[in-house]
Formats: sequence, structure tokens, C-alpha cells
Amino acid sequence: MINFFYAYQPLIDFFLLNAGFALSQYIVLRAGVFSIATVGIVSIGAYSAAIVMKSLGLSIWIAAPFSALVGLAVGLLLSVPLARLRGPYQAIATLAFVQIVAAVALYAEPLTGGALGMNDIPKQVSTLGLVFALAFVLYILGSLSRSRIGAIFDALRQDEAVAGSLGISISFHHALAFALSGAIAGLFGALQAGYIYSIEPHQYGFVMLTMTLAAVILGGRRSIWGPVVGAAIMTFLPEIARPLAENRLLLNGLLLVVVIIFLPRGVVDGLIALVRRRRTSAVTWPAESSKEVRT
Amino acid sequence: MSLTVSGVSRSFGGVEAAQDVSLQVDPGRIVGLIGPNGAGKTTLVNLITGVLRIDRGTVSVDGEDVTAKTIVGVARAGVSRTFQNVRLLTDSTVLENVTLGLAQQEHSSFLDCMLGLPAAQRDRRAVRDKAMQILADVGMVEYAHRIASGLAYGHQRRVEIARAIAVKPKYILLDEPVAGMNDVEAGEMIQLFKSFAERGIGILLIEHNMRFVNALCEQIYVLNTGRIIADGTPAEISQSPDVIAAYLGT
Repeated sequence: MINFFYAYQPLIDFFLLNAGFALSQYIVLRAGVFSIATVGIVSIGAYSAAIVMKSLGLSIWIAAPFSALVGLAVGLLLSVPLARLRGPYQAIATLAFVQIVAAVALYAEPLTGGALGMNDIPKQVSTLGLVFALAFVLYILGSLSRSRIGAIFDALRQDEAVAGSLGISISFHHALAFALSGAIAGLFGALQAGYIYSIEPHQYGFVMLTMTLAAVILGGRRSIWGPVVGAAIMTFLPEIARPLAENRLLLNGLLLVVVIIFLPRGVVDGLIALVRRRRTSAVTWPAESSKEVRT
Repeated sequence: MSLTVSGVSRSFGGVEAAQDVSLQVDPGRIVGLIGPNGAGKTTLVNLITGVLRIDRGTVSVDGEDVTAKTIVGVARAGVSRTFQNVRLLTDSTVLENVTLGLAQQEHSSFLDCMLGLPAAQRDRRAVRDKAMQILADVGMVEYAHRIASGLAYGHQRRVEIARAIAVKPKYILLDEPVAGMNDVEAGEMIQLFKSFAERGIGILLIEHNMRFVNALCEQIYVLNTGRIIADGTPAEISQSPDVIAAYLGT
């Protein structure tokens, strides 16, 4: 068991990081915002943590919260222009944001190291640290889910005009989702920087974006466990499919198509809905038949 | 103290969907708004509630001018509504739909929610209990844990009414609330709406069904091609030659 853990430890660490990124992507999608800015903010978080760790010699304990705050601020700033856009237009605008961040990282050489990236970042993040960070984020998102905020996010995703007609502020809650998503992305960006020694611009590009988005679509965007399960699939599947060599990505695509067709809400939400339906029908069926007897 | 619409106009290109419409709903009163298909009834509801922008005229709620307000602002001023084509959160349960209407009445802070503190949990429990009571009022308790999209149309309407009343509105605009209900169900709705009025809520009832309107409303406005062509008691309305012409043709 211990041996197994050591053999797969890097993989588990990557899963924990990917789960963090997926949760950042998840929270905006849950609130009905089609933002794919997560990867851009992860990049900003990673660079800002790397900069304060290398140039100021600060520890990850300060760098990670700092990056989370930077991410939160960027998320809030983004929410202002994006409040006027919906659906695919938000996706396009945030894709542009990701490209801008990548370009800045590439050309702001004195600060970011340009195409060579930043190296020799002190490794201060352990598996345990990642587990704690993920547990912390899950705890907060879980609490929010069970509170009115989660209910409001679900409502905004399904029909924001209805939420508005009940006096629920649409712009406030969208900004809240952006801020949360930004803070989580910043935090996990910092943790990644403090884990992998070096970061470079192209790492935060289209591949990471599709991977993060796919994790949420695979897992589900209502339950907080959806993105975690999605990230696990996206991380471990390529390893299981190692014999397929370069055709491994085919399996990813195939799985995505199968899930979208058969479990359009994602693996976790799809299964929850299935169980819920079975349970409610089991409860209400006798109640209905007894009513028939009465009349 | 009333929901007052005065001189409201709105045109879409060349089509005048509302022309100088004025009407008033007092607290505790049930006012009818009738008119043939395409008369502009739903457009008027959308103008009042801030879904559509008003070209000219004003809307005020108990003296507060809400003409320029958005949907959220009008709702917060105390105007609630249902939709002509029922709009429930289809992925959510009946109970979740109704608790959404109560979300604005929760007092716990954002921090309480974020950390899952007892205040937030108390709020949720209180809101759930309140929602169950409201569902009992509309006779939907046994469906509380069903997914909303699986309900019969008439039941969906009841849930929507429960949600609209949950926000504790001063005025409620009901857009064809008994469409898709049979006579027995519509009769139950008559009792329900009367109980709303007794609680001091002003109701604007948009309806096709004349029998239903006559049973409930002391005052009726008749809308045709975006204009109020008559208003008065049910008896007066049924005598009006303009109304007869609009409904039956000349």
C-alpha cells in the first residue's frame, strides 16, 4: 500500500492540483457564467507566487494567500466587463483574456523570464499541503453550496430572469462567482509554482484550458464532487491507457462524447439525479396509489 | 399606497405594444386585466416589472418611482410575478424552487454561508420550514421533493405561485395563472387568491377566462391593441360595446 502510494505520488499530486483548477472552473459554470478565465488566473497566480518567493524570499505560506488575493482581484475586475456578455460571448472574451495573460508572460521578460519561464522556484509544497488546500476549498464551496448562495447559483444557471424577478441581484452573484473562481485559481496556481520548480508561459495554454473544462463537463457542475471526480478521470485515465501510447488522447475524446450523450449532467450529477429519481419515485408511488383508493 | 401605472407607452418599431396605459392596483384588491390574444397584456406585465424598458409614462409602487428600475429593483420594491409560460427551475425540486423565493429574507452574512456557521444553517432550516408552509397553502406539500419538470402543468403553476408569494410581495402580477387547470383546480385558486388579498396583497390578474375573472375581480381593465378600452366592474364591462366589439368582432 505504502509502495503503491510512493509509486503514484506525483500522479496524485497532479490530480490534487487539477482538482483545484477544476473547482475554479466549476464555480463560475455553476453560477451560469461561461467564463474560461481560470487558466489565465492560474497563470497569474503561479507567476506572482514565483516572483514573491524568488525575489523576496517569502515562503509559500505567504505566497499562496497572496496569489489567492491577486486571483480574487483579477476575477472581480474581469466580472465588470463580462457582466454585459452572456454565454458564448463570455467564453470568447475570457479566451482572449487567457491569450493576453500568456502574451504578457512571454514578453514581460524581466519579470517573468519570458519564453524560458521561471526556474529554481523553491519546492515547498508537499502532497499533504495540496490535500489541505483542496480540503479547505472543498469545505468552503460545500458550505456555500448548502447555503442560499449555492441555491442562487443554481437558479442563475437555469434562468436568471426568474432569479431577478425574485429580487436576487444577478450582477452581485456573478461577481461573487468570479471572485471565488479567481481566488481558487490564484491559490492553486501558487501551489503549482511551489511544487514543480519551474513555470513557463505555454504551460498555461489551450491544453490546460480544455483539460480543466473537460474535468467539469465529465464530472458535473452542480455537486462540488463533480469537478473532483472529473479531474481524477482526466489525470488517471491517460495512465491507465498507457498501452495505447500516442492514441491515449483518443480515449479522452471518446469518454467525453460518451458522457455527454449518456450522462449530460456529468458523472456525479448524473448519478445523483438517477438515485434521487429512484428514491422519490419509490416514496411517492405508494402515496399516489393510496390516494386512488380513497377517491 | 398603490401600484400605479400612468401613461405608459412602448413601441417596437412601428407596433405600439402599449399606448398611454394607466391603471391602479390597491393593496388587498384583485384587479383584472383582460383582452384578446395579442392585446399586449404580457407586454404590459413586462413593462411594469422592468423586463422591458418604458418609452413614456411612469410606474410607481407605494409612491416610489420604479420606472427606470431593472427586474431586480422592481422586485425589491415589492412587486412579484408569475410567467405566462411557467418558468420553474426545471432541474430543481419543488421545495428548492420555493425556497429560492425566500432567499432574500435570510439574514446570515456571507461569512456565515462561506464557513457553514450555525447562523447559515438555521436560516436554511427556517426557510425550508416556511417554504413547506407555503406549499401547504397551495396544496403541494406532497410534491415538495419532486423535480419540478416532472410535474403536471397545473401543479407547476401552483409551484410558481408559491414561489412568487414567498418573496412577501406587496403586489403580485399573475399572468394567466389558471391556464391548463380544470374547473375544480381553478375554483381552488379562487380561494387561494382571495386569501392573498385578505392578507393585504394587491393582485393584478391577467386572464382569458372571463368566468374566472368575474368571480374574483371587483374591477377589470380591458386591453386591446395596447390600449385600455374600458374599465369598471364586471357588470359594467360586460355591457360595454367596445369590449363586445373587441372580443366578438363588429
